[in-house]
Amino acid sequence: MSSQHNQAHHSTLSKNWFDKYYKLMMLVPILFLILCLAYLGFFYSQNQDFILKDVSLSGGTTITLNTENLDINIDNLESTLKLKYPDMNFRKLDDIRTGKALAIVIESSASSDELKASIESSTGIKLDNYNSNIEFTGPTLSKNFYRQLIIALIIAFVLMSIVIFFLFKTFIPSIAVIFAAFADIIMPLAVIDYFGIRLSSAGIAAFLMLIGYSVDTDILLTTRAIKNKEGFLNQRIFRAFKTGILMTSTAIIAVLPAFFIVTGLPDSFRQIFLILAIGLFADIINTWLTNTGIIKWYCIKHNIE
Amino acid sequence: MVSYKIWILISALILAILFIAPWNAFETGVIIKSVERNSTEANNRIISGMIIHEINGNLIKNNADYSRVISDIFSSKGNETIRLNIKTDKSEFVILTDKEPQITIGNIPKTKIKTGLDLSGGARALIKPVNVTLSDSEIADLVSITSERFNVYGLKDITIKSIKDLEGNNYLLIEIAGATPRDLKELISSQGKFEGKIGNASVFIGGTDIAHVERSGQQAGIESCSAYQSGESCSFRFPITLTEEAAKRQADITSKLAISSENPEYLSQKLDLYIDGELMDSLFISKDLKGRVTTQISIQGSGQGADRNDAIKATQENMKKLQTILITGSLPYKLEVVKLDTISPTLGKAFSKNLALLAGVVFVLISLVLFIKYRKIKITSAVILTMFSEAFITLGIAALISWNLDAPSIAGIIAGMGTGVNDQIVIIDESISNEHISLKERIKRAFFIILGAFFTIIAAMLPLFWAGAGMLKGFALTTIISVLAGILITRHAFAEIIRKLHE
Repeated sequence: MSSQHNQAHHSTLSKNWFDKYYKLMMLVPILFLILCLAYLGFFYSQNQDFILKDVSLSGGTTITLNTENLDINIDNLESTLKLKYPDMNFRKLDDIRTGKALAIVIESSASSDELKASIESSTGIKLDNYNSNIEFTGPTLSKNFYRQLIIALIIAFVLMSIVIFFLFKTFIPSIAVIFAAFADIIMPLAVIDYFGIRLSSAGIAAFLMLIGYSVDTDILLTTRAIKNKEGFLNQRIFRAFKTGILMTSTAIIAVLPAFFIVTGLPDSFRQIFLILAIGLFADIINTWLTNTGIIKWYCIKHNIE
Repeated sequence: MVSYKIWILISALILAILFIAPWNAFETGVIIKSVERNSTEANNRIISGMIIHEINGNLIKNNADYSRVISDIFSSKGNETIRLNIKTDKSEFVILTDKEPQITIGNIPKTKIKTGLDLSGGARALIKPVNVTLSDSEIADLVSITSERFNVYGLKDITIKSIKDLEGNNYLLIEIAGATPRDLKELISSQGKFEGKIGNASVFIGGTDIAHVERSGQQAGIESCSAYQSGESCSFRFPITLTEEAAKRQADITSKLAISSENPEYLSQKLDLYIDGELMDSLFISKDLKGRVTTQISIQGSGQGADRNDAIKATQENMKKLQTILITGSLPYKLEVVKLDTISPTLGKAFSKNLALLAGVVFVLISLVLFIKYRKIKITSAVILTMFSEAFITLGIAALISWNLDAPSIAGIIAGMGTGVNDQIVIIDESISNEHISLKERIKRAFFIILGAFFTIIAAMLPLFWAGAGMLKGFALTTIISVLAGILITRHAFAEIIRKLHE
């Protein structure tokens, strides 16, 4: 009995505070979204595109050297190559447990034969099947990839919207979910751009995944607030929040270690996990500030108490 | 009484174990990966997939045993025929042969889970016909010519697939497991148009006008090597036989030629050999051949390297490539290699190790969070067990459909596990709340949310099947399998477990 009493007391408290500020709270993510959109606009004017593309989307070569058993002067290699290929991207991968240098990743728009020859002449080591990965993507194919993945992203978004409309069959709550999904894509995109991360084709797939990943908390909220009408509205919202925040936290816990641990994976795939994690953080504010605000407003207007 | 829903989960897990077949790890022997066509072994009906356990009474446990036993048997022999008694998992073969078995072998895979190139190493190429759109039958021809080329060249363990992307572009995806030849790019992309010309007149073209290409024997092979620039250069030669028709055409043309004034042993024009429009060689035509129908022509070429070994290797590869093109004929269009990845098996191994570590870390972190929240060991373990069951069932289905697990597929499985946990949290929270309505009704409500999330994931992943030449198909596939396994099997079992825990 006492715990029930406690809960009721708790929700009365949160109700007062929540009722006062929920409209204001809605604005926080919206302002952040506007900021992100403005940044993306600025980014576009600087780079003629909304993202920085890695070679899988712009064409070129990635060579991953397995440095574990090779005697290479890494700094020397980097400076030599930088002179020859100014557009080169040079990264070191360390083993998460031992901290030992595992591999280096060299990306350039040069052809694979050319880049391979330069590395061989600089290090004096012949690259073969065992000490290196060589990945080449032609410029036309990468353009195709990029265009099609963007089309796929749009199709996925439209299909998701149809599912949401079908699920709730009401305009405002459905739009609120779709809007949250939109913000969940835009925010991590701006963050990725801000940190200068080059997006790979797998990274774009992560944005598709984000569409599917982020809307489950919105569905949870809308269902509990609108469809199931036991208890007060604020209680229902708060209950949804408690469930949803746990869901998002466990999802972040599942994907964030993957980004840090799975270093042996082609580097371009690790960003799937980073993007999902940033998107899930964004989803927390988009769902529990904006979407919640819209839903509460809608419920009050339609007398769903 | 245990609900049928739990039994369905248990059956699914047992089936997954059967599909994955982890007991293969205990099996010893070597698996036959390929058998040379028309070889003694092929004629004795030895086929790929068989597992060799014993040869002439020697136990074969692994690759090293096989190499040792075969070299022991064949190093001491002279010219006599040897009797090989090969015991396989299917039956015992007795073959009489004078050369080492013309088969390729490998260690038995530990499970039926197929690992893609990202994990086990190899090469992947995506090729595209230039400026033409191919019909389905033309694509099928391209697939068969390409496989024929690999076959003639001697490369095994290859898959060739045609792929159509979102915008209707056709590609050919070629995947080669293990080591890859240096000139893979040329081998797959050369149009292979071989033409012999005298002046401007075409005498013969590869494929149709060539009746036979001598690939080995005394007349075919490396002729000589010599110093060249800072390294070595070797030359090769092999004879080809023209068809009667092409030989007549040649006689016709040579009959009209005069004898060279500077070089009276030869005719005034040479026979020029072109590969894909590039002049490869010019052969003098002996004056005796004027107007004569002759079907034998000797083809020559060379290869260079840093030292003699390198040069010999390069020359052999060049010869093999040329022979391959002459035998398989040309394609009616140019090909472009639009993507070519060669992936080292060593980096893949590091990845597999890290994957086990990842599973451990995620296990500990999620258990911890759930335990802090619910304070119940039973609920926490039920979530974790369900999560790993889903991943396991997904792996089982991947093994069943022989899906190559590449990097995107693994990412999909991890992402799928994340959504699985989310759904389970919804089930738990719905079931422990709102005591006014029945548990059954509450779980029904949880399933409304879960179904909604399920359909949005499917909607989001579906376009990936076609976008980007299907290179990210694995991501979509494993995610969809894993959420399907969830919605059809594990969610119901989990809801049942939660119901039981309530009682």
